[in-house]
Amino acid sequence: MTPAEASSHRELGQRLAEAEATIAALLSGQIDAVFDAVSETPVLLSQAQQALRASEEQYRQIVEATSDGIIRLDLLDRIFFVNRRFAEMLGCDPVGIVGTSVFDLMSRQGKLVMEAALSAGTESLDVTFCHKDGTEISVNLAASALVDVEGHLIGNLGVVRDVTERKRLQAQLMVSDRMASMGTLAAGVAHEINNPLAAVIANLDYVSENLAPKIIGRDPSKAAPKMSRAWLLDEIKGPLDDAREAADRVRLIVRDLKIFSRSPSDDRRGPVDVKVVMESSLRMAWNEIRHRARVVKLYGQVPPVEANEARLGQVFLNLIVNATQSLPEGQAERNEIRVNTRLTAGQVIVEVSDTGAGIPPENLGRIFDAFFTTKVAGAGTGLGLAICQRIVTDIGGALTVESQVGKGSCFTVTLPIARAEEREAIPFVEVVRVGRRGRILVVDDEEMVLRAVKRSLARDHEVTVVAAAREALALCVSGQRFDLILCDLMMPDMTGMELHKELSRVASEQANSMIFLTGGAFTESGRHFLTDPPREHIEKPFDASNLRAIVGRYLR
Amino acid sequence: MLRLYVAGAAPNSLRAVTNARAICEGQSAPGFELEIVDVLKHPRRALADGVLVTPTLLRVSPLPTLKIVGSLSDKDQVLLMLVAK
Repeated sequence: MTPAEASSHRELGQRLAEAEATIAALLSGQIDAVFDAVSETPVLLSQAQQALRASEEQYRQIVEATSDGIIRLDLLDRIFFVNRRFAEMLGCDPVGIVGTSVFDLMSRQGKLVMEAALSAGTESLDVTFCHKDGTEISVNLAASALVDVEGHLIGNLGVVRDVTERKRLQAQLMVSDRMASMGTLAAGVAHEINNPLAAVIANLDYVSENLAPKIIGRDPSKAAPKMSRAWLLDEIKGPLDDAREAADRVRLIVRDLKIFSRSPSDDRRGPVDVKVVMESSLRMAWNEIRHRARVVKLYGQVPPVEANEARLGQVFLNLIVNATQSLPEGQAERNEIRVNTRLTAGQVIVEVSDTGAGIPPENLGRIFDAFFTTKVAGAGTGLGLAICQRIVTDIGGALTVESQVGKGSCFTVTLPIARAEEREAIPFVEVVRVGRRGRILVVDDEEMVLRAVKRSLARDHEVTVVAAAREALALCVSGQRFDLILCDLMMPDMTGMELHKELSRVASEQANSMIFLTGGAFTESGRHFLTDPPREHIEKPFDASNLRAIVGRYLR
Repeated sequence: MLRLYVAGAAPNSLRAVTNARAICEGQSAPGFELEIVDVLKHPRRALADGVLVTPTLLRVSPLPTLKIVGSLSDKDQVLLMLVAK
């Protein structure tokens, strides 16, 4: 060893001894102050301890004051700590739940979601916890791993946000968006209804004013002139057929309206024919489309999809209205909106494309964001596509877009096929067959409906009509018996449901012989009454042959 | 030449001042001059000397410089270190 090496060796040894002595002094509590490396000022240790306590207190206050629940889990998913807010959400004592497994606080669905998420390492998930009183609480859980200073996993931290209210608002937003679309289209729909309605009225007036006097004669006491069969066919059947055709168009439009205005809570899913829904949506938007574009329809053969008809209608209508609004007015022949359906890789693909302005690339990534809109203020809520995407992903589908500025956009909806057992349940057209002659009671507060039903059925059956449920009840109580009671569901004073309840009490066999007539816009309780258990009902408007077929089948 | 860095009137610092004075005034350590520096008033001096905690006793001379951290309660041990070459 050279003298220089020896000297540096000695110095190293000394520095090491100093360091060890410093550590020993630190450990034995002989230190008063240390220099803070950042501020380069000495910090008295007793003050440092106070500051630490203050900082801890500050964090504790933040944790306790936050409106979110906070839980800390150990490696076995047992609760290590919860803040007061989390305990409040579940209606239990914060100390009482420490040590229990987090899964014990969850609903069955929550457990499944949580287990799947834990194994997949998902960081944010929607789960349901169980409140102490048994109700379920929807929450969003944002999880993060907790590690010690050496980086070893020691548990998980969860921030729990109650989203029950958010879910309710979301549902409300969906409805208000649908209503906004409907509002935009209302003028067009009124127009669509008024045209055929004008035809109905004009044709019926023609028959009533011009033909009836000719057949009956101006003086009712005089015998009618002899009419040729051909003349009758031309002059009476022609206008009546036209009126009938026009009325059918009104019926279709009202059916479309019913699709879009269905109750917000009715989100039952089932097999849905995308073509039917697309046609309804196109009809709804027709007044907007016709001045701007030709519509090209390429419907491929596709099976029914698993969806909710109203929600899917909302999606299609939104895409069609967007496509329409991307096109200038007045050049319908030059522009095109194309809808097509096809089956690819076990999924139904629905495309809505236009030859409009297209979406600039910088906006393409944002069009599905809520409140993003390029429309002028007041023209759009910016919710349409965000809601569409949510609806579609909720049913396990996808909504994507391709667009080129100046060429147009194409929105693609991918939808899951309905399950096989449900597809078999699609109603089929019943073969008309007239049964035996029966005694029928018709109850409806609308006189016009009573007269029409009586006219349709009187040839084959003995028909009694009453305009109030109380009259019907009185008839049954007085001992009259009917083979069938056709009864309006919603009536003032006493509803069809109430009549059913009363009859069940006083004449149960009559209650069991009821078929209900519904206008479609019935209440939540009405819907529940008809579906649980399922009860036979006929939707208005019905045509005569259909009504006769249903009655005939019932009396067979 | 010794320099003792202290933090105001903190307990360990006061103890170190008492002990350091006793060592310097004792029979066995003649010739040591003691300077006491309060880091709360002169933090820059402590940093310049590479002192990061108080109390720290620094032997400025003779070289090599030497640091002893703590309240210097084991006076014999401190003295042994101070006189070492």
